Amino acid sequence: MTPLHIPATGSSPEIEFRFDDHELSLRGESFPENAAAFYGPVIAALRDFLDQPGRDQALKVSVSLTYFNSSSTKMLFTLFDLLDQAAASGRSVQLHWWHDVEDDTIREFGEELMVDFQNMDIQLCVIDA
Amino acid sequence: MDSRYGYDQYREFCELARKKNVIFYYVGYFSQNIVTAMAEAVKLRLEQSGTAGPVRRRLFSSFVEMAQNIIHYSADSLTPPEQDQHELRHGSVCIGVDAEGRHFLLCANPIAIDQAEALEVRLATLRAMTMDEIKASYRESLRSEVPDDSKGAGLGFLTVARDASEPLEFEFQGTEDAGTAMFFLKTTI
Repeated sequence: MTPLHIPATGSSPEIEFRFDDHELSLRGESFPENAAAFYGPVIAALRDFLDQPGRDQALKVSVSLTYFNSSSTKMLFTLFDLLDQAAASGRSVQLHWWHDVEDDTIREFGEELMVDFQNMDIQLCVIDA
Repeated sequence: MDSRYGYDQYREFCELARKKNVIFYYVGYFSQNIVTAMAEAVKLRLEQSGTAGPVRRRLFSSFVEMAQNIIHYSADSLTPPEQDQHELRHGSVCIGVDAEGRHFLLCANPIAIDQAEALEVRLATLRAMTMDEIKASYRESLRSEVPDDSKGAGLGFLTVARDASEPLEFEFQGTEDAGTAMFFLKTTI
C-alpha cells in the first residue's frame, strides 16, 4: 500500500504512514482550520489498511504531539478508537505516546488514553530535552 | 490640540495598554494563517516573560480555541457563507494580566441573533457546572457524534472552561443591526 506522508505546517502535524513497514507516526502541533477535513483522509487510509489481510503483523504507532486543539482531539480519539478496535480483533497494536518531561497536560492525556483504550498496548515515553 | 496624529498620541495609547496590563491585542480579520502567526507571537511572548509552563499551555490553548471560534462563527465575514475553508471573519482578542496577577483572555465578535440565543443557553449551563461536571461533560462530548452545525467537536468551550480558574464570563450586547449581537467572552487562567 502506498505510504501516506503529509508534511507538517504551522498548524498541522506531520503524518507518516509507512504501511508496508506497519509503522504509523504523528508528530508536531495540531490546530488545522478544519480538523475533520484534515484527519478525514488519514482515518480513511488507516481504515483501508486495517481492512487488508495480514493482521498477524504488529502495528507500531508513534504519537509525538505537543499541542492539539479541541476539534483535533475529537479526530484523534476516532483514530485511536479505530486502532483499539483492530487490537480487539486480534491485531497486535503498540502505541508510543511521547511527551516532554515537563508537559503534564500531554502526559495526562496519554494516561486517559490508557484507561479508555484497553485493547492496544499504550506506553508513555518521555522526551527529556 | 494637534489634529495630526503624532508620537505623543500613539504613546498615550501604548501607555494605556501598559497601565491596563494588556500584553496582546488584535482587532481585525481572523483567518487560519493570521491565527497561526498570532499563536506563534503569543507563545514567544509568554516564553520571554517567564510565565510558568502550565499557565503558558492553558493560555495558548484558550487563545487558539477563542481565535478559531472567531474564524468559524463571527457574523462579520469577508468570505461567502457557503465557503467553509480559508474563511476570513472579523473580531478582536486581548490578553492581559489582572490585579491578582492572573492572565485573562477576552474576545469579541459579532454573531447572528439566532445563534446568540442558543449560545447564551449553552454558556449559562456551562457557567453553572462544577469543574468535575465540566470534565465529565468533556469526556462524554469526546465520545459522542459530532453535531451537523459544528465545524469541529463542540468541545471548544469545554476545553476553555476546563483550563480556567473560575467560570467563564460572557455578555451579549445589541447592535444597530437587529439581526446581529456582539458577543464577549472572558476566561481567567
